[in-house]
Amino acid sequence: MYGWHLRILRVNLTNKKVTKEDVDPKFARDYLGGRGWAIHYLYNEMDPKADALSPQNILIFATGPLTATPAPTGNRYMVVTKSPLTGALAHSNSGGEFPTWMKRTGFDLFIFEGKADGPVYVWVNEDQVEIRSAAHVWGKQVPETTDRLKVETDPDARVACIGPAGEHQVLMAAIMNDKNRAAARSGVGAVMGSKNLKAVVVMGNKNPPLFNPDGMRDISVDTSKNVGIDVKKGSNLRIYGTAYVPQVTNTLGILPTRNFLQGTFEHTDKVDGVALKEQYLIKHVPCYRCPISCGRLTEVPDGPYKGKGEGPEYETISSLGTGCGVSNLAALTKANYLCNELGMDTITTGMTIAAAMEMYEKGYIPESAIGMPLKFGDHDAMIAMIKKMASREGFGEDLAQGSYRLAEKYGHPEIAVTARKQEFPGYDPRGSQGMGLLYATSNKGASHMEGDVAYEEVFGVPIKEDPLTTDGKPELVKHFEDSFALIDSSGLCVFLAIRYVFSKDRMVWPERLSEMMNLTTGAGYTPEEVMKAAERVYNLERLFLIKAGSGPENDTLPQRMLHEPLPDGPAKGKVVELDKMLPEFYKLRGWDEKGYPTKEKLQELGLPA
Amino acid sequence: MRIQIKLIANFRELLPPGSKNGIVELDLPNGTTVREAITRFDIPLDGSSVIVLNGLTVDLNTPLNEGDRITAFSAIEGGSTYRQGDDDVRLAPANPAS
Repeated sequence: MYGWHLRILRVNLTNKKVTKEDVDPKFARDYLGGRGWAIHYLYNEMDPKADALSPQNILIFATGPLTATPAPTGNRYMVVTKSPLTGALAHSNSGGEFPTWMKRTGFDLFIFEGKADGPVYVWVNEDQVEIRSAAHVWGKQVPETTDRLKVETDPDARVACIGPAGEHQVLMAAIMNDKNRAAARSGVGAVMGSKNLKAVVVMGNKNPPLFNPDGMRDISVDTSKNVGIDVKKGSNLRIYGTAYVPQVTNTLGILPTRNFLQGTFEHTDKVDGVALKEQYLIKHVPCYRCPISCGRLTEVPDGPYKGKGEGPEYETISSLGTGCGVSNLAALTKANYLCNELGMDTITTGMTIAAAMEMYEKGYIPESAIGMPLKFGDHDAMIAMIKKMASREGFGEDLAQGSYRLAEKYGHPEIAVTARKQEFPGYDPRGSQGMGLLYATSNKGASHMEGDVAYEEVFGVPIKEDPLTTDGKPELVKHFEDSFALIDSSGLCVFLAIRYVFSKDRMVWPERLSEMMNLTTGAGYTPEEVMKAAERVYNLERLFLIKAGSGPENDTLPQRMLHEPLPDGPAKGKVVELDKMLPEFYKLRGWDEKGYPTKEKLQELGLPA
Repeated sequence: MRIQIKLIANFRELLPPGSKNGIVELDLPNGTTVREAITRFDIPLDGSSVIVLNGLTVDLNTPLNEGDRITAFSAIEGGSTYRQGDDDVRLAPANPAS
């Protein structure tokens, strides 16, 4: 077989047993790889009701068939586990270099089971696998941990690790790789911390064999050329990174502002990509084999927020920036550096602080509980809160639980803007109705990366949709959810995939992507087959959610989205009309009217009925 | 009637020199449409641009009213505004495939 190694590395941290397993080629084909393979193992190997932070949870690192191939942006992996934040499914994606190096160890997946009796890291150098003590780096931040582990393994190795936030099992802890890349969402870093697993270090030279190396080279060169043509025309992602987006969402009135109390921010010019480029940008930094290069290396050269690192990107600007009412770009950039160093998801971190700010201003949380005033726009207080969260110090203990539990504790659950207890990303769905349906139904809780119909509603890629209408959105959301399950299973980056390996129809179609997968694996997929496999993956995840106790009853949105109209901007007066979309969505998915997959649909997909 | 044009990100360079925050004000005859106003700038009117009126998705033949604001940005993958030598950051090479 080609493309996939068809080998899995299983590390039991409790008894320190390491096993290497073969993968059935038919299973490999039916579940694609990456996110698809991983949900199969998660569903079959753990009790979905088990505590996410107990040794019963398993933590899966999963590369796809296109990872470590010549495919441009074939540099991604997925971290899949039960989420301590949502109590359901986590699947977080990251790029950089670690995923490619991981695949080159000769394994497609790593599965970590149990819990080590003290801090450890796992060093995988092809078939040589060691579980080593991490006592000397426990408590260290991400950059220092990364540097030290490279020194004691191989300077050319790549490292994924947690920071102090993961060690303290804060529910927004990320797994950081290559220092600044993050499998950020849903608390995957807390799961790693609960296993006493500080880091995974990888090295290898086993590129997967390709079914048709010449064909793969040609299609990769051609795809990169198409990106290059756009870059020469002036690609916003290259020039400004995702930081150009606040101007777009502010224009449409869907820029999360002050915990979604507003949809426009009066100081957007101070925190957008133009300001970042003029003031702090050093250069753009690509992930491995990426022709787009949207990452930003930045430096705040002096002053109280002095520092150097990556970011901020759009989702950080819309959470730690506008979400908290913060317009000081230096402080916002510093807050991003801190999240990277401590190992935290900037979205949930920012929006949890934003919820606390609203509750403080409304008098729901007294100053004595926080230890200081916490008003919207107070960037120094925001930075102080980030540090407290990572260590669970003082009020940080409350913040470390995320906004849902925070708001509940202080008696005002209506303040939390979450779906399945996960904080919203940077698109207010009252002004982008499809995103509302997406957040309500997403298998991982509120997330744009589960099927980002903002491509069409906001960015006009490939076709501009009216974001304010619900017409046609159930069909679009279902199709994008399946398409993103495919991309996440393939090992490609969404930024490239949607634009360059899908057709440019309203219903984007994976013609070139399926061709790439065939040239890599020899599996002979049709585009219909890869979409069907993606639907299989999506439905198996849904079964996991139902068993975990986060089924259809959680296909909803918080009060602010359903009952509090936007007070400003072009979407003024709008709420999410979820009840107009959800029944049709269930029908299109082949689920019953309550939202459970029907026996017929499960049989059609070859899933347990 | 006076209206505003706001151009975002790489489209900003299509504005006349001295424009502030990507915005220019125009004095146009009554009855001018979105399309007529926006064609004063070198913005592609195909699917590679997104053009909204007061933040709303509209037909480009919609007539403008006093105080309206048209905003345009390039659909994410690019645009046609690249001019050689504009910007060192932009010209830096992509990560070479290795």
